[in-house]
Amino acid sequence: MSSLICENGGSSKPVKKNAVLVDGVYLNGPIMDSKAGERFVEEAFPIIMEEAIRKATDVNEKVCEWQPPEELKQCLDLDLREGGEAPQQILKRCKDVIKYSVKTGHPRFFNQLYAGMDHYSLVARFITEAINPSVYTFEVSPTFVMIEEVILKKMSECVGWEEGGDGIFSPGGSISNMYAVNLARYKHCPSIKDEGLSGMPRLVMFTSEECHYSIGKAAAFLGIGTKNVYVVPADERGKMIPEELEKQVQRAVKEGAVPFIVCATAGTTVLGAFDPLEKIADICQKHGLWFHVDASWGGGALMSNKHRHLLNGIQRADSVAWNPHKMLMAGLQCCAFLVKDKTGLFEKCHSSQASYLFQQDKFYDVRYDTGDKSIQCSRRADAFKFWLMWKAVGTRGLEDRVNRALALARYLAEEIKKKEGFRLILEPEYANVCFWYIPPSLRNMPDGPEFWKKLHQVAPVIKERMMKKGSMMVGYQPHRDKVNFFRQIIISPQVSREDMDFVLQEIEALGKDL
Amino acid sequence: MSNSTASRAFANLNGNYELKGSAGRQQKAVTVDGVTLNGPLSDNRDGERFLEDAFQIIMNEAVKKGTDVTEKVCDWKEPGKLREMLDLELRETGENHERLLQRCHDVAKYSVKTSHPRFFNQLFAGLDHHSLAGRFLTEALNSSQYTYEVAPVFVLMEEVVLSTLRSLIGWDSGDGIFCPGGSISNLYAMNLARYRAFPEVKQRGLWAVPRLAVFTSKECHYSVGKSASVLGVGLQNVHPVKVDERGVMIPEDLDEQIENAKSQGSVPFLVSATSGTTILGAFDPLDKIADVCGKHKLWFHVDAAWGGSALLSKKHKHLLKGIDRADSVAWNPHKMLMAGLQSSAFLMKDSSGLLKQCHSANATYLFQQDKFYDMSYDTGDKSIQCGRKVDCLKLWLMWKATGTLGLEQRVDRAFAYTRYLVEEMKKRGGFQLVVEPQFVNLCFWYVPPSLRGEEGSEGYQEKLSKVAPTIKERMVKKGSMMVGYQPHQDKVNFFRLVVISPQITRADLDFFLDEIESLGRDL
Repeated sequence: MSSLICENGGSSKPVKKNAVLVDGVYLNGPIMDSKAGERFVEEAFPIIMEEAIRKATDVNEKVCEWQPPEELKQCLDLDLREGGEAPQQILKRCKDVIKYSVKTGHPRFFNQLYAGMDHYSLVARFITEAINPSVYTFEVSPTFVMIEEVILKKMSECVGWEEGGDGIFSPGGSISNMYAVNLARYKHCPSIKDEGLSGMPRLVMFTSEECHYSIGKAAAFLGIGTKNVYVVPADERGKMIPEELEKQVQRAVKEGAVPFIVCATAGTTVLGAFDPLEKIADICQKHGLWFHVDASWGGGALMSNKHRHLLNGIQRADSVAWNPHKMLMAGLQCCAFLVKDKTGLFEKCHSSQASYLFQQDKFYDVRYDTGDKSIQCSRRADAFKFWLMWKAVGTRGLEDRVNRALALARYLAEEIKKKEGFRLILEPEYANVCFWYIPPSLRNMPDGPEFWKKLHQVAPVIKERMMKKGSMMVGYQPHRDKVNFFRQIIISPQVSREDMDFVLQEIEALGKDL
Repeated sequence: MSNSTASRAFANLNGNYELKGSAGRQQKAVTVDGVTLNGPLSDNRDGERFLEDAFQIIMNEAVKKGTDVTEKVCDWKEPGKLREMLDLELRETGENHERLLQRCHDVAKYSVKTSHPRFFNQLFAGLDHHSLAGRFLTEALNSSQYTYEVAPVFVLMEEVVLSTLRSLIGWDSGDGIFCPGGSISNLYAMNLARYRAFPEVKQRGLWAVPRLAVFTSKECHYSVGKSASVLGVGLQNVHPVKVDERGVMIPEDLDEQIENAKSQGSVPFLVSATSGTTILGAFDPLDKIADVCGKHKLWFHVDAAWGGSALLSKKHKHLLKGIDRADSVAWNPHKMLMAGLQSSAFLMKDSSGLLKQCHSANATYLFQQDKFYDMSYDTGDKSIQCGRKVDCLKLWLMWKATGTLGLEQRVDRAFAYTRYLVEEMKKRGGFQLVVEPQFVNLCFWYVPPSLRGEEGSEGYQEKLSKVAPTIKERMVKKGSMMVGYQPHQDKVNFFRLVVISPQITRADLDFFLDEIESLGRDL
């Protein structure tokens, strides 16, 4: 290579002795100043600590600092340029990012199915980031492979699989549900992996009308098609009606299609309903169908001796999706996909035996190279944060949190019933409290289309006002035949009764003139 | 049906509902189901103290020691032994801070230091401190990237980062999303290609269409095959296209394969080219492949998960010439740009909303249509995920700090490391290149003195195949460095050295060669 030059000093350039220049690039010494980098991290940490952790969980601070998109773009100066910026400028940018971000750990953030902040989990997440592991092989991630195995086993025990099972942490409950459908399909007909669906009889899956939208996405993605998801009606509490499931299965069979999976839901997204798992398991057993339970949200109840009855029958499932980042506050994302099968079905379904990663002549037991179970290649170490948190608070500590969240939901529901202008949609089974706020102007209106039309417009306006004020965040949605209502989600142990009282007062204050 | 049961259960709960006027410690303590609801259950101050103590350990054990060349890359323990040492079991009660800090220390100690200057094992390495600060911040903010309402900063930031990456491809408009890994990006590409060709598949499934066919080279990443299985297309409908001796796809064979598939009644819909193959680091000839795709009207995807970062270098971006003609590109800045796992962009040329149409489910509880702001900023329905981690902040912050030119310098330097090593290997005895590197994958055999001059003799290949695994075992047990090896096609085990981190110096490169010699010369 003509461009490879060794300069042995004497040159006019201020480089070290024996400087090596390749293609115009000096190779001596690092081009990055690690000490300066470390100083930067050490300076950034107190900012993160103060602004993104302390203030972000302080009930006296705002939940959000609303700016419309165009204005926010101006505030942030997002464009990326040729030159780099000085550390002080970057620190200022960190502060701005924090300022305008929604504080999801704030005691008055009730907007999603996750909330609160667990500091133990957060420590583990910082460690994960600093170590930057990818969990595919024992060689590269010995600690995290082991930790994942232990956590999955423990969660399997919580499900009630005495003899353990299989599983993996996935990037979200939607992906877990997709895994379930793919695995069920593979179990039903392993040749689909190689041959595809072309030429196969039409496959049909079943779920309730209250299921998470990811079931439909999975069907579309996997080439099954959303029309081949047969939707089972739910009762007025949002629970799948098993007799209707039976009818749908028979309908599919009569059509000449092939049923292969039932996706039940333990803790529906909007209403927090739990499908009757025992009865659904009976039907699955009768027809030889894969029984998947999407317990992404409701799985947390398994930690509570008092509430785990909600999931009675889950031990009969073939697979379970359960997101500890929701009710158990492990931090986004922490999503377990659990499989009862122990014969290696999961790995067979997804494996492709890449020779560069899963070499078979390694010097250790290659069964610990678990990455080929995944549809991902590189994969984050999501189990570790849950593990450290569990070590810190213990099984009982987790149970206390679940019990408390459900007790707070109970309290809020009772207060809603007592308070004028609030109407509960249904008695909560779990931590979803769904209700309408009816402003004074509508309270004496007769029940009719005009009333519902007006009520429909109330929640969006209150939501806009609360966000602009930054006082709290709670979600709303229309749902089936019901007009917009609030869905209050209660999770965090940092939340107290006072916050529940605040929610009702604040909604009233924001909406009483409507 | 279960209504009466439910209301009974509810009456029960009601029975336990009591208001304690003065009995409790606090005034008006409220107890429901035996749980006191006043005040928070957890102590934030206590948690914050723990975090501050732990930060010192993280800085010392993971960040400083993890990048210190005088420390070990890994501290090898057998799986059973490691499980025992870490005391992984989870128990009824929690542990005190001191014990937990010790656990943090232990996890850091026994984890492989992927940022260490002598970690060359994967297609990622090194540590960028600005990215790391961005990652800490991401974790602390715990945002899910689905709506502007919940993630206003990150919705806008993701769009700017994606648009910057697109402009490097040569597109002045388009679409995209960050995915949990390049494999998922490749899945997206296949699904989008299918959707454009046969939108009815989304609703009616694959029964609505004839047998489909995908084309990719034999050197492609294994995720292309996985994608075909998961999407119901089937692995056997992925047609492997021949490559030349450097691992580069032969466009003439692509054309022939497409014709063959058509003649067998299949319907081709996607060509997945690779820019920077996993093992050899080969770049497919994109312009010629684009011609073939144009001729047959196929979706042209480029898996540039690994090689995409060469686009930052004026000197080396010619490797991806023609990428602007692609319909979609997978590019992982967590690899060569060191943004930290995971940072995987899926980029599209289409700006008509195909990505959203293909994946959307219009969930009313998340994507309400009567919000008070412009709902085109609620970008989450483009995704197959629901909750989605924020992957843009770390890359954005790093880019702001380093600048485009700083990133270019890193890429150029990685190429120069490789060049240097190639020259050094040629000078030393015992190192044999598998192929002249196009990129920064340096594939080579180390031939120990006992085998030199024996090439072609009976049992040579067999003996050579055992060299790399033994050297690997020795280096891991010693903790001196980590580099990958694999058999590949008709070639026995060889090392694949990948040098990318700007923390590396020439001395580390020399050390690498010395260390391989020292670990393997007795074999």
